[in-house]
Amino acid sequence: MPKKLYWLQCGGCGGDTWSLFNAESPDVAQLFDMLNIELLWHPSLSHKSDDELQALNARLLSGEEKLDILCVEGAIIRGPGGTGMYDTLSDKLGGRKPKKDLAASLAKKAEHVIAVGTCACFGGIGAGSDIEAVGLQFSRWDKGGLLGSEFKASGGMPVINLPGCPCHCDVITGMLSLLSADMPIELIEKYHTPVEWYNIMVHQGCTRNEYHEYRIEEKRFGEKGCMFFYLGCHGPLVKGPCNKLLWNRRSSKTRVGVPCFGCTRPDFPQPYPFFETRNIEGIPIKLPSGVNRPHYMAYKGMAAAAAPERLKERKTGI
Amino acid sequence: MKRIFPMNRVEGDLKITLETDKGVVSEAWSSGTMYRGFENIMLGRGSLDGLVITPRICGICSTSHLYAAAKALDMICQTDIPDNAVRVRNICLMTEMIQNDVRHAALLFMPDFCNSRYADSQLSEEAFRRYAQLKGQMAIETIRESKKLIEIIAILGGQWPHSSFMVPGGVVCVPGATDISNCRYLLNTFRRWYEKRFLGCGIERWSEVRSMADLNVWLDESESHRNSELGFFIRFSKEAGLDKIGRGCGHFISFGALDMPDHTEIKSLNGGKTLLPAGFDLTPFHQRNITEDISHSWFGGPSEPKHPFEGVTKPYATGSEDKRYSWAKAPRYEGLPAETGPLADMIIAGHPLLLNLAEISGGVSVFTRQLARMIRPALLIPFADIWLKEISAAKENFFKDYEMPESGDGFGLTQAPRGAVGHWVKIRDSQIEKYQIITPTAWNASPRDSNGFRGPWEEALIGVEIRDDDNPIEAQHIIRSFDPCLVCTVHAIHPSPDPSPKRRGESSIYSSFPFREGGRGVR
Repeated sequence: MPKKLYWLQCGGCGGDTWSLFNAESPDVAQLFDMLNIELLWHPSLSHKSDDELQALNARLLSGEEKLDILCVEGAIIRGPGGTGMYDTLSDKLGGRKPKKDLAASLAKKAEHVIAVGTCACFGGIGAGSDIEAVGLQFSRWDKGGLLGSEFKASGGMPVINLPGCPCHCDVITGMLSLLSADMPIELIEKYHTPVEWYNIMVHQGCTRNEYHEYRIEEKRFGEKGCMFFYLGCHGPLVKGPCNKLLWNRRSSKTRVGVPCFGCTRPDFPQPYPFFETRNIEGIPIKLPSGVNRPHYMAYKGMAAAAAPERLKERKTGI
Repeated sequence: MKRIFPMNRVEGDLKITLETDKGVVSEAWSSGTMYRGFENIMLGRGSLDGLVITPRICGICSTSHLYAAAKALDMICQTDIPDNAVRVRNICLMTEMIQNDVRHAALLFMPDFCNSRYADSQLSEEAFRRYAQLKGQMAIETIRESKKLIEIIAILGGQWPHSSFMVPGGVVCVPGATDISNCRYLLNTFRRWYEKRFLGCGIERWSEVRSMADLNVWLDESESHRNSELGFFIRFSKEAGLDKIGRGCGHFISFGALDMPDHTEIKSLNGGKTLLPAGFDLTPFHQRNITEDISHSWFGGPSEPKHPFEGVTKPYATGSEDKRYSWAKAPRYEGLPAETGPLADMIIAGHPLLLNLAEISGGVSVFTRQLARMIRPALLIPFADIWLKEISAAKENFFKDYEMPESGDGFGLTQAPRGAVGHWVKIRDSQIEKYQIITPTAWNASPRDSNGFRGPWEEALIGVEIRDDDNPIEAQHIIRSFDPCLVCTVHAIHPSPDPSPKRRGESSIYSSFPFREGGRGVR
């Protein structure tokens, strides 16, 4: 039996869908074919008419048709005042229902629920704004969200969070591959993110690592050194597979000189300005995840003194 | 009778309400069904934060928002940027346009040819062979080729979608010779596929098609022309009558796009500062003539139309008895609605084939609008390749350091894949005090305004015959030809008929017909 997948778009930009279209081996078409996944609905791909979609929804909600995997993209919009009327579904008679209710109903029927992208995981861009955005099972750092902290899908797992703005295509295809083969999935307890992709730092694999190592730090754009001390790079602070998997098979933001904005973090986008590192006397307030501050400072001081000339000259093609 | 239908295969959610009289659309309301409130999210943030937040407005045109955000900051910092940075920005924007044009055609627009309405057509089987969901030959090829093409943006900008590599003063990347040659390889590999499968001929041959007569000759010239995407689209459109529906509001707007480097062998299409010229119909464009009208939108604040620098975005829900029915504001140019997108770009740039088609048919149609989108890559690809070549030859930087003032006003206008996009920004004490955005779909999907003028695609729906109320495919073709993108834009609640919407007025671009070779508009 093929696994049946439903992709629901809520309050988002569609970026996770277009990220999925970046997938190479398998690409989107091969993915569903080879994994034996039947795509019940995807708003950008499906040819179904609205009548057919309504009929499908009715079958899924009554239990007549099984729903194996529910992917939700975009935040759950609850505004104004908790009504959800900023994001509605329309029926033929002009009636409107908040989309958050459909998301909740489908989640209760699904064997697995996947939050694709930071908005669906944690609320993302619209969290704390007019639209009162939350994630499926988190509201920024806190468990809860739309479905509540105790929610478990019928398969026994909580919402599986795949953060990123957007989520990397290989993470989405990888997750679907695991689910379609009934493989075990290990989640990091704190944020329900799979260990497979969210237990390394964005920093890992960055081509600027050697500059970081010797504290060759840039203060302006368009240079080749590290961006952690002055330009607000979150690479050593935030988990994500960007520099392991690479984007579009080619590069990453940090490799070309765009600081990491920490888009997998539950509080993305951060409340303080991007492109600058908050610091005390030139030392970042937040040091790389898990380091001992005095030891790190001692290491950095010695590293700067030991920096090789070839690096200071920044003569490299990378 | 009145009928409401939500549309699929749209970026974001869209609801169309049609009132028909004996099967003919007599009134139309277009409504998005989501409000995301980006403009308010920007308030109080750091001066550069638009570069990070605004690309996230749209998953398929993030680079266009980045371009607009960076240009607004260029203006605030009063910096001019190195030629190579201009080239990198342009190449990435063109890449985003091209991927959108082919994806929209093969994945979003043409799948409607598989609709049950056409089950009896002799072309139906061919439509399924090409566009069946995730199985059609062209659907699969387009997925593969478009994702290869956008690797160009990843090489230069780190990733697609949602990077922030454009900054005031230029771009952050320092591409090496290999990077540029890889980009050229990707562009030209795509070009070969596009020529073979979309056009069925080389770009050179295609650019000789300058009139309806040329188009007919081209179509009959060879099997490869007839069997190309374009050939099939033309054959199907004629059979389905797509050249007879979806005229629109008769006004076109382009903010202009692709800034010209100081030194380049490329000549802009009208000698101006951008390769694709800015314009409103065939008159010069100035951003001060833009206003946003909220009379029919779910926003509070002053009721008279405001320039974006003066406008505010206050979501304001009222009961259904109110005349408001959309979260989209209604952008107007000198008080008039205007269509934007590839067709507008190319008509304002004086594209001979599109002008000739509009002239012969007495207006544009679903056919011309979609044709423009499908042939735009043929216009852009050769320019992108020249700029790539120029980067490797030029020994200069990609970034010039800037000084960010504590306060300042700026705007950044460009063309996204779907048309005119603008950001208007006010910085005070190193914080964003105001950030107003007009997106392409806000132009096209706009609701009525205080003069009672309908938005462009509402206007395009009026008068179309809907043969089957349960399957209003004609309306779907019309809306789809505008490449709707609601994630950028809006939200709407229950439409309540406004008793007497006015026609858009007597004026239209068509009063300038006939166009003459050498005159304004044809170059």
